[in-house]
Amino acid sequence: MNIQIQEISKIFKELTVADRISFNVEPGKVVGLLGPNGAGKTTTIRMILDILKPDSGQIIFDGQPINRQIRNRIGYLPEERGLYQKFQVMDVIWYFGRLKNLPKRKSHIEAIRLLDAFKMIDYVEEPIGHLSKGTQQKLQFLVCLIHNPDILIMDEPMAGLDPINQQIIRAKILQLRDEGKTILLSTHQLLEAENLCDYFVLIDHGKVVLQGTLPQIQKSYDQNMMVVETKQDPGLLKGIAGIRKMELRDSALYLLLDKNAQVKEIMQKIIQKVDVSRLEVHKPSLHDIFMQTIKGAQ
Amino acid sequence: MRQFFVITWWEFIRHFKSRSFLLSTFISPLVFAAVMLIPTLYIEDSSINRLKIIGCMEFDTTGICRNIRQRFTELNADSPLQSFIQLITIRTDTSVSMKNRFNLTRRLKLQLDSLDNNYNRIKERRKFVFQKPAGTSREQELKVTYDELLQIRETRDLAELDYRRNKQETDSLWRIETIRYADGLLQSSKMEGYLLIDQINFSEGIIEFHSLLPSNFLQIDPVKQAVQVVVVEQRLKEEGLRVDKIREWLEPLVFREIQMQGEDKQEFNFLINYLGPIIIVLFLFISIFTSSGFLFSGVLKEKSNRVIELLLSSVSYTQLVAGKIIGLGLLGIFQILIWFGLTLILASLNILNTSEITFLTFGNAGLFLLYFVLGYLYFASIFVGIGSLFSHEEDAHHLNQFMRLLSIFPIVLAVLVLDSPNSLLVRILSFIPPLTPTFMILRIPLGSPPVEDYYISVGIMIISILLGIVLAGRLFKVGSLLYGKNPTFREIISIAFKRQ
Repeated sequence: MNIQIQEISKIFKELTVADRISFNVEPGKVVGLLGPNGAGKTTTIRMILDILKPDSGQIIFDGQPINRQIRNRIGYLPEERGLYQKFQVMDVIWYFGRLKNLPKRKSHIEAIRLLDAFKMIDYVEEPIGHLSKGTQQKLQFLVCLIHNPDILIMDEPMAGLDPINQQIIRAKILQLRDEGKTILLSTHQLLEAENLCDYFVLIDHGKVVLQGTLPQIQKSYDQNMMVVETKQDPGLLKGIAGIRKMELRDSALYLLLDKNAQVKEIMQKIIQKVDVSRLEVHKPSLHDIFMQTIKGAQ
Repeated sequence: MRQFFVITWWEFIRHFKSRSFLLSTFISPLVFAAVMLIPTLYIEDSSINRLKIIGCMEFDTTGICRNIRQRFTELNADSPLQSFIQLITIRTDTSVSMKNRFNLTRRLKLQLDSLDNNYNRIKERRKFVFQKPAGTSREQELKVTYDELLQIRETRDLAELDYRRNKQETDSLWRIETIRYADGLLQSSKMEGYLLIDQINFSEGIIEFHSLLPSNFLQIDPVKQAVQVVVVEQRLKEEGLRVDKIREWLEPLVFREIQMQGEDKQEFNFLINYLGPIIIVLFLFISIFTSSGFLFSGVLKEKSNRVIELLLSSVSYTQLVAGKIIGLGLLGIFQILIWFGLTLILASLNILNTSEITFLTFGNAGLFLLYFVLGYLYFASIFVGIGSLFSHEEDAHHLNQFMRLLSIFPIVLAVLVLDSPNSLLVRILSFIPPLTPTFMILRIPLGSPPVEDYYISVGIMIISILLGIVLAGRLFKVGSLLYGKNPTFREIISIAFKRQ
């Protein structure tokens, strides 16, 4: 199912939390919604889920606005999680299945199938409060899959999970993508996003500041970077024309170049000033782009 | 629609299985019943197990203690009082020292009486001599008897002085000894109290009652009544009235208290006709506040753990709120049915005599249920709206406390209804929404309210509920997704009343 988010805006009191946001989420693709805290990601997700109504703009699901049928085809994983702590695992999954319009028996069968698939079948009669935090997180992920949704919307799906469970969830998301599900996830973990997402939407201050596939973003972000490794004082490189910023990461020095800087000339000047053990042009990562874009906007 | 029923069922079942529901259904009424019944049972128990011995001591009065005891027994022949209040006469004149003193006084009295007799005899003799014909022997005899008379009078006066002094001393000592003895019995808890009757006070209508425990002063009324009867009896006797007539006149009256209930009349029973309606109101209130309390804490918990977002991604606000309110309302009705069932079980086991609860007719039960539903919906809409505004239970704690305090307010005002169920003030208060359910439920068995009061109160409640639901819906829509700082009062008002 295709989702088209078209120029949606939301204003709370006098604060614009979403400002004409537009992007598409296609089936078989994972779209990453990125942005710092307070950028407007959760508000955007709530508008897609119809929990909040946009003040303007519209959200179209396969050519039509959200309705009960579409709502029942969405699986949602909220950012902060907690389920009914005193209730047994099976009862809670069953309840959410029923809320998604699954018949009683089907809801029960699907719950068992999923618990088995996630190796959680032993917890079937366990009260949720007795499970570890990680297991509860996994359970919540499972709850959003109970009705085999066509659309998956996840707010920070990896938050709070240990590496093993992260791997399980990651594999499941990719499997769902390959099955043709429409997946939108919001995350702070940029490396994770690079590994998972096919398309990125970067939001800041309620506005989309960048969007596209990783190569498209890297291409559009027409600033080069260089990596230099030297035993000499990096301060010697100061004053070279075309270098906008230097940043020491581990033992390497990352240089951010001006947009139209002459890479060859800068390389020559670096070699003239210091002895280098490594010097190469670096393709900016999502993290670099994210940081620079957000800082640039600020 | 199916999701609405799913939420309704879920809310019902999850709270039905909770410990709080079990507590409020079975333990709270027990605690409440205990609070109401323990004092009564204690009094009954103490009346059976703790026999109250009331002493009676009299000085210079003739057998009044015996009369009081007798009248007390007669007046309370059919009352359990007789089995737990026992009147005894306190006597200390049997001690050796007092016996000696009494013997001495008696001896002095006998001596005085003997001298009196001699004196009178001499006087008689002189009268006889005086009637003889005049002559030397008569004059001689008169002179001799005159000397004897003078002599015996002097001896008699001295004996009288001696007797009076002795008697005064003995009486004083007797009084001190007796009171000391009686006080000793009080201190050692062998006696609960004693009546002190002496001639001077008694003639002025004063009788003293001495005791250690304040509660004894409250329970002495039946004894006072017996004393009163004896005193009146004695006064009438002194006026020369016939004893059998006095007895007839002082026969205690039997009061039959007949209460009019609508068209019918029935014997008044304090526990059933006075406390009964209050108990019903309290039970309905336990139910209303159990259910709306679940609603309040449920919304708060779901908001604090973000389950509410998960729910709202599946159902609409209206379905969620309506499902919760109806589910928990059904739980409240179920709770009442459990109590009703328990009442029937107790009745079938003859532990409870329901035939005496005449106001519990099907019609009235229907009205109670109607006002329960209206009261629940009213408070539920308030609780759901306010509950959604807070992010954490701790934040809402004070407000919750305040709401519970407010809920007790109508019960406190219930005294007004008990006093005068159809007074203008009570009728006006019955039309103020938070008070309407309580006041109407109380008025139904107590005063058969005018028909128009039912229509007005139900109308007002329906309008208030609709208004409450609209405002709660607005608060819930905004509040359920509001995290962080709690909204100020002004913000709440603005959310509730802002033009949508």
